[in-house]
Amino acid sequence: MREMTEVEPEGLYVWVQQEHPMRLAGEVVCARGEMVALVGPSGAGKTSFLRVMAGLLRPEQGVVRVDATVWMDRARGIFWPPQARRVGFVFQSYGLMPHLNAVQNVALGLLHLPRGEREKVAREWLARVRLTPAEMNRRPSALSGGQQQRVAVARALARSPQLLLLDEPFSAVDGVTRHGLYDLLGELRADLKIPIVLVTHDLLEARQLADRIVVLDQGEVLQAGAAAAIYQAPRNGRVADLVGVLNRFSGVWLGALTTEDRAAGRAWVAWGREGKGVRLRVRDKGRIRSGTPVTWVFQGEALRLEGEPAMAPAGEEVELQARVVQVRPLGELALGVLAVEETGGEVLKVARCGPSRRLLREGAVLRVWLDTSWVHVMPVRGGKEKGGEIRGGDRGDR
Amino acid sequence: MDWTAFGLSLQLAGATLLVLLPLGLGCGRWLALTTFRGKAVVEALVVVPLVLPPTVLGYYLLVFLGGASPLGKWLWETFGVQLTFNFAGLLVASVVFNVPFMVQPVQRAFEGIGRELLEAAAVHGVSPWQRFWRVELPLAWPGVLSGSVLTFVHTLGEFGVVLMVGGNIPGETRTVAISIYDRVQAFDLAAADQMALVLLLVSLVGVAVPFFAASRYRRR
Repeated sequence: MREMTEVEPEGLYVWVQQEHPMRLAGEVVCARGEMVALVGPSGAGKTSFLRVMAGLLRPEQGVVRVDATVWMDRARGIFWPPQARRVGFVFQSYGLMPHLNAVQNVALGLLHLPRGEREKVAREWLARVRLTPAEMNRRPSALSGGQQQRVAVARALARSPQLLLLDEPFSAVDGVTRHGLYDLLGELRADLKIPIVLVTHDLLEARQLADRIVVLDQGEVLQAGAAAAIYQAPRNGRVADLVGVLNRFSGVWLGALTTEDRAAGRAWVAWGREGKGVRLRVRDKGRIRSGTPVTWVFQGEALRLEGEPAMAPAGEEVELQARVVQVRPLGELALGVLAVEETGGEVLKVARCGPSRRLLREGAVLRVWLDTSWVHVMPVRGGKEKGGEIRGGDRGDR
Repeated sequence: MDWTAFGLSLQLAGATLLVLLPLGLGCGRWLALTTFRGKAVVEALVVVPLVLPPTVLGYYLLVFLGGASPLGKWLWETFGVQLTFNFAGLLVASVVFNVPFMVQPVQRAFEGIGRELLEAAAVHGVSPWQRFWRVELPLAWPGVLSGSVLTFVHTLGEFGVVLMVGGNIPGETRTVAISIYDRVQAFDLAAADQMALVLLLVSLVGVAVPFFAASRYRRR
């Protein structure tokens, strides 16, 4: 199923389809003022998508449109070279010219301005990314990683681009610098009102910075949406793997068992192994046939431990008995592994901070409630995945 | 001391450099930045003059450019130009002979620029022409300088090709190297001594230039 993305009258629209020399397929949409993160493992084609947008890569088929301007439409023979597109691009290793100082580097992107103005504008932008006048006259080799990074950001923005592209811009700097850059980016973003596309392999970063996430794997867009929505309802097992959903199980889809279920739009999933098991009553979207093996996931919010205050559940709760098998304290946070007794030891993973941390003691047996409205069920092989091909995330044997 | 011969050598070296610099820049850059079928063949052809005995190269130039060859005949009949046993002929021979000395360092230098820098320039609105002047040439110039110096110094000391294509005509084709050979044949060792020493010093200084330049470049 391919949902039609609403075409934004303003902002970025990209559609790519190619098989050679590598597979690239999918759509990326980013409104003005929005930041979209492309995430996925290395080799997933994240950077290739960025290069298509910038005009550094010419796919077999595809469209790149920014606002009303069509930069590329292979079917209509339109292809603007990179220098004709108004793009700001921050490269992974910055791409600063080693023979030019910071001001000259930024001014290099301003050749369309009259000679006298270039340096002035360049200095203004460098001041905006908080470089001191002394640092502005240094060459990249005399600047720290974070400073080089900011020069690259200034160069990308100085030419008032229609589109800002960031290729793993934070991967090469240390944590402190990185947070400074997050702040800077947030600050600039508020004034810019242009689409921003960020490539990152760091999901946490993507969740923190981006409004929406596009999950890529093997050159293909698997799913796009708000980070929370993807975590809650990954389209298939591979997406669940890629975004790092902790609680991911296999089961069998039983379908609606009574007329009452059918009327309520509910169906059952069998969970467990070797005869032992529980049935979960979940929402039925009518897409899965009874008897089909399924993968299902839920977010941490779905679990309530014995001793935690009950909040009004969004849906029905299932009570389970679980033994705390392992606890890993991580500073403020504790990660617990719980074996569910009713299912013959299926493992739940929970993270707790604050006072609830103390509930997680190794060996303790707890009652646990699972709010089934958080349960998201996917067919083991389905969605956009090619039939017959077994992909990493879809082993049904967990 | 045969100053005429020395002047002629300098003229030949300068002219060779003048002709070969734009050619070598174009060819070296092209080989560095593009991939195409048969690139290996072109690269091998570029190196051939380096491994061929100068007499062989000179011989083929004589065969292909001489008055009896179709090309030589055509040149003579249409332009009244002759390319053997005169300065023009020497220049052609010397350009061909020096192709590897110019193209190879230039190619290596352009290869060393790094794709990301070229892409960064393009993405930030720098046209190909501006990119050449503002990014490529400044970054590749140690290689270009080194190719130029090698070509110049190498031409100064050229012997085999010059003798084959140019012969030994005073003021026209008798270069320093030929003159030294001449003096030795005539047992005028004092003159040979002087000229050899001058050639040695000039070559040494010339070859040192790119090394100094490169070390200064790296320090900055």
